[in-house]
Amino acid sequence: MNCPIDKQSETINKVNRRTFLTRGGVGLGSAALCSLLSADASARPGTLVDGEKLPHFPPRIKRVIFLCMAGGPSHLETFDFKPELIRLHGQPMPDSYTQGQPIAQLQGQSLKIQQPLCKFSRHGESGLEFSDFLPWQSKIADDVCVIRSMVTEQINHDPAHTFMNTGTAISGRPSMGSWVTYGLGSETENLPGFVVMTSVGGRNPQPIASRQWASGFLPSRFQGVEFNASGDPVHFVKNPAGISRQTQRRLIDSVNQLNRHRNQLTGNPETDTRIAAYEMAFRMQTAVPELMDFRDEPEHVLKMYGAKPGDGSFASNCLLARRLAERGVRFIQLYHRGWDHHGGLKKYMDICCGLTDQPTWALIEDLKQRDMLKDTLVIWGGEFGRTPMFQGKGGVGRDHHIKGFSMWMAGGGIRGGQAYGETDDLGYHAVKDIVHVRDMHATLLHMLGIHHERFTVPFQGLDMKLTGVEPARVIKEILT
Amino acid sequence: MPYLLRQSVFFCLVFWAILSSARAQSVSSTERLSFNRQVRPILSNHCFQCHGPDEESRATDLRLDLKASAMGDLGGYRAVVPGHVDQSELISRIQHMDPDQKMPPIDTGKRLTDREIQTLTQWIEQGAEWPEFWAYQPFPKHPAPSTEADSGWGNGWIDAWVLRGLARQGLQPSRRTDPTTLIRRLHFDLTGLPPNPEQVRAFLKNPSEETYQQVVDQLLASPHYGERMAMYWLDLVRYADTVGYHGDQDHNIAPYRSWVIDAFNRNMPFDQFTQEQLAGDLLPDPTLQQQIATGYNRLLQTTHEGGLQPKEYRAIYAADRVRNVSSVWMGGTLGCAQCHDHKYDPYTSKDFYAMSAFFADIDDEQHFKVGTNALPTRRPPELLVIGKKDRRILDELSAKVRSAEQERKSLEAKAKTLEGNDRDAAQQELDSLNAQIKSWQDELRKTESRGQWTMVTRALSKPRISRVLPRGNWLDETGPEVQPAVPEFLESIELDRRANRLDLAEWLTNTEQLSGKLTARVLANRIWFLLMGSGVSPSLDDFGGQGKPPANPELLDNLAWELIENNWDIKELIRKIVTSETYRQSSITSAQQREKDPYNQLFGRQDRYRLPAETVRDTVLSVSGLLNSQEIGGRSAKPFQPEGYYQHLNFPARKYQPHVDQRQWRRGLYIHWQRQFLHPTLKSLDAPSREECTAERPRSNTPLAALALLNDPSFLAAAQVFAQRILTETKGDIRTGVEYAFEAATSRQPDEDEARILEQLFRQSLLEYQSDPTAVKNLLSRSLIQPPETADDAELAAWVTVARALLNLDETITRN
Repeated sequence: MNCPIDKQSETINKVNRRTFLTRGGVGLGSAALCSLLSADASARPGTLVDGEKLPHFPPRIKRVIFLCMAGGPSHLETFDFKPELIRLHGQPMPDSYTQGQPIAQLQGQSLKIQQPLCKFSRHGESGLEFSDFLPWQSKIADDVCVIRSMVTEQINHDPAHTFMNTGTAISGRPSMGSWVTYGLGSETENLPGFVVMTSVGGRNPQPIASRQWASGFLPSRFQGVEFNASGDPVHFVKNPAGISRQTQRRLIDSVNQLNRHRNQLTGNPETDTRIAAYEMAFRMQTAVPELMDFRDEPEHVLKMYGAKPGDGSFASNCLLARRLAERGVRFIQLYHRGWDHHGGLKKYMDICCGLTDQPTWALIEDLKQRDMLKDTLVIWGGEFGRTPMFQGKGGVGRDHHIKGFSMWMAGGGIRGGQAYGETDDLGYHAVKDIVHVRDMHATLLHMLGIHHERFTVPFQGLDMKLTGVEPARVIKEILT
Repeated sequence: MPYLLRQSVFFCLVFWAILSSARAQSVSSTERLSFNRQVRPILSNHCFQCHGPDEESRATDLRLDLKASAMGDLGGYRAVVPGHVDQSELISRIQHMDPDQKMPPIDTGKRLTDREIQTLTQWIEQGAEWPEFWAYQPFPKHPAPSTEADSGWGNGWIDAWVLRGLARQGLQPSRRTDPTTLIRRLHFDLTGLPPNPEQVRAFLKNPSEETYQQVVDQLLASPHYGERMAMYWLDLVRYADTVGYHGDQDHNIAPYRSWVIDAFNRNMPFDQFTQEQLAGDLLPDPTLQQQIATGYNRLLQTTHEGGLQPKEYRAIYAADRVRNVSSVWMGGTLGCAQCHDHKYDPYTSKDFYAMSAFFADIDDEQHFKVGTNALPTRRPPELLVIGKKDRRILDELSAKVRSAEQERKSLEAKAKTLEGNDRDAAQQELDSLNAQIKSWQDELRKTESRGQWTMVTRALSKPRISRVLPRGNWLDETGPEVQPAVPEFLESIELDRRANRLDLAEWLTNTEQLSGKLTARVLANRIWFLLMGSGVSPSLDDFGGQGKPPANPELLDNLAWELIENNWDIKELIRKIVTSETYRQSSITSAQQREKDPYNQLFGRQDRYRLPAETVRDTVLSVSGLLNSQEIGGRSAKPFQPEGYYQHLNFPARKYQPHVDQRQWRRGLYIHWQRQFLHPTLKSLDAPSREECTAERPRSNTPLAALALLNDPSFLAAAQVFAQRILTETKGDIRTGVEYAFEAATSRQPDEDEARILEQLFRQSLLEYQSDPTAVKNLLSRSLIQPPETADDAELAAWVTVARALLNLDETITRN
């Protein structure tokens, strides 16, 4: 696609008066905005200026739910069992592995091998291996495809998150959720197309910056909107005290009436957009509280997730993710902060898994029961993994590790019950079928019907892509 | 495929290509094409990736960014043969039927449209004129075209050149806008604040040329002018109150912001402005202000995250600085050359690292070790900035303490020699002296604490070694060492010593050289943008091959010359622009304009757009009477923001303490700029996080912004204060109240329909509040501002509704 970005904003403002009126605004992808340049009254989302269309080919899924385990969970205590670590436990890590490699907090320290702090067993018909920290996820062994050969390029939390979300550590680039809603729009007129929620629990919760869901150089309406567990779920969505729904309605009606009246004189398309934005704001004022209100969920569903309304837990967020998915939200991202286990690995794995394992299972089960898993892609993973080497910041722990770690995908088009890729015997380097972050991005776009090479936006002279300039590939092997 | 057959297929294809290009010509106009504006962008966008400046990715010897190569012999044929479409390989290859031969190759994802092919064809037909790339050429000052100058429209070269540009497309300028709109526009543009009704009325009484010029002078002399200009500059240099990475702790930098405001207000010439920011510390005996200015070099995002790799962040900081300097001063994307030579511009990877070497002497790695998770964190070197008055107090107090200490010494000595009562008396004297000293010292400390710390630049005695990092990889130290140098194709700095930041500043603003002229054009283009809504070249941040050349090049050249000839006088350039007729046009778009110049690149009208985030806030507060605009500069302000908004910050965990006094009503540019969680209202109105240089903010129009304007408690408080004023001023007469309020918000009187809509809103709201006293109580008692006692709270509440409507009006927050 090729809609010049600097014209994009102008398009929204000046040329396109139909966008909000017909589509309710946030829902509509830019592709449609471009097409309005050509004065085509029947413009649909996905119609591009030069005739190219999004999606490029039939998509396998409609939406993405990204479960981001912030802090970097250990692959060696979850999905990647390494018996060699037990045999060599306590011995120095061979130089051949670590020479010339970036190292985070263990810089300058002696490096010793640390065995896994748990047992592994096989599950499901597929016999996929799970650690005993994950009793619930092991029940969905046949639904998930574990990628054991992930690599990333950033070894500190903040840039590593940025890398995971945008494909680069340079700031100011759009996150994947923004790319996706920009390209495909959304299927709701009452809610934003890209929603983010967070929960906390574990060791030393790492900060999460709002840049992780920023739209970068894409128009700001494609940025992720954070829903909060406490206070207003969306900033300023509730009327201030003493202002009734009726007062607000009348106020908006009057504002819109005045704007329309004045616009007969000035003929400013942006005014029409503003009128529509106020309408949608009003709709959001109803839609968001409805979304957050669990009263229509039966008891057994709440129990399945372990969710208590309004507690801000990962469990509640998983349930909200399903509710958002049902309402047509395109990209949903849940962060759970607490996986930075430099020490107290066992204790904190218990806490983190205790908080996230069952809800993760419940989300997959629930989507399956509602026949929605087939058109949803669920991704689980952190911004990196953890070292096979011991770190002792308050008991046994592990440092940041970027050269080989695990993530999983499940849902529409993913061949479940398999592990893809391998790390070496010590779980250090990904050695077989290496999957770079940008390969994951390419795959994600592919499942949404987007060819990652052809989904570009000109910015500062470059045709920007989510997958960047280095080669990226769709991991076809994990698809059905 | 047999050779012969392949050949004949090839010839058929070429023949077809020629035929079809002939067909394309037949539909084309005879318009003379501009290489820089119409042809080069096509080549750049579709061909340079493989046939451009980047040596590594160049597929063949053919370069389409160089005339000699494009027209040179490629072994019996040439890519471009002027006047001969049929002999130009370029044309036959872009129309080739064989997918293996067709350019650009399919796997690049690039595709030429029919129109683009037609343009290339027509250009070769017309003789393939190939002037040098516009942005990197010296340029003359153009005398105003006489026909236009004598046309009766306009008052100088700006208007004459705009008129010429319009005439080229068969367009005319718009009529002059009405005086109300004009004065409102001028106030917004020069001070970032709306005019009050008295100011508007004063102008309407006598909207003569003379009055207009007077208002221009007044506004340029207003201290709010500096605030308005600073708002934009702070976007460019990515000013923020926090470090940006990881814990996003506060850092000390507010005095730099005050310095910027002050520099604009004093109309500091831009070359000096540049020099003091980049290298104030290297000037002989730098003043306090010059040292504060060097805060510029410290504005980038920093970190002291545990486990950081110093060499990695050294590379990240260096790249950040190169990106910013090249964006702010050169309108360049030199940042693209971090991993490889630039794909579209003649910047090499070596240029990138040589540029970074200018900053290799900046002492800013101490925080890797001493940075703390406190608020503010530590980012040495820092300087304590104390106001003039306080400095005098400090000097006096120190002198007093010194002399008292002398006295104490002699007293003590004397006391030792005394006995009995005499000794007791001496002791008493000593005690009271000590108490006095202590109180002075307390005073000293108190005065000092009123000072502000600010990050500054100090040069290391030995700069860090700079080397080319192959593919940007900081772990790879095999690249050659580089010395500070400017990009090779843009002249050079010749010295017999290591060039430093002062030399860089000089080079950037030396208008005898190409470099200074480039800077002048970049700056002039941005000032034009601030006053006309878009740049003469629409690409404010990219003057390179992928940017858009100016549709009216003479206009841009002359604007730059205005700066060059007037010793970088920014106020003078602004005065020239706002007193032109071009500036004073209406912003209403005619059907013809919408068709022929939809993006107003020729400036046949003014622009209309929603105000920037800070200005929306300032306008709402100003209209209501709540704005605290007295203090210019100073510390950041913390207005209300939703509880828990900083919950994801850590190291340390953050609780936002909003200011509850007058500070919360300060202007938007003073709002605490938390990079990771910018104030949600500013953010919803497109204020940037200030991680990178922002030359042009997006202008969006979203439901989230609507929610903020409707429901942000700060805005609600403004509506309440506004309502209070309406009530007091108009003593309950509804029509008078509506008219008064409408004028305060929009600078004009409502027409009959508008007044009726608002009257009705008032009456309905009044009925509702009269029947619901609890709602009235909730509305007024939970506000950020306690309302004074009024006779009728329901009436006040109903006026709050009207005030909110007016503060949400499109017209109130739009610059026309």
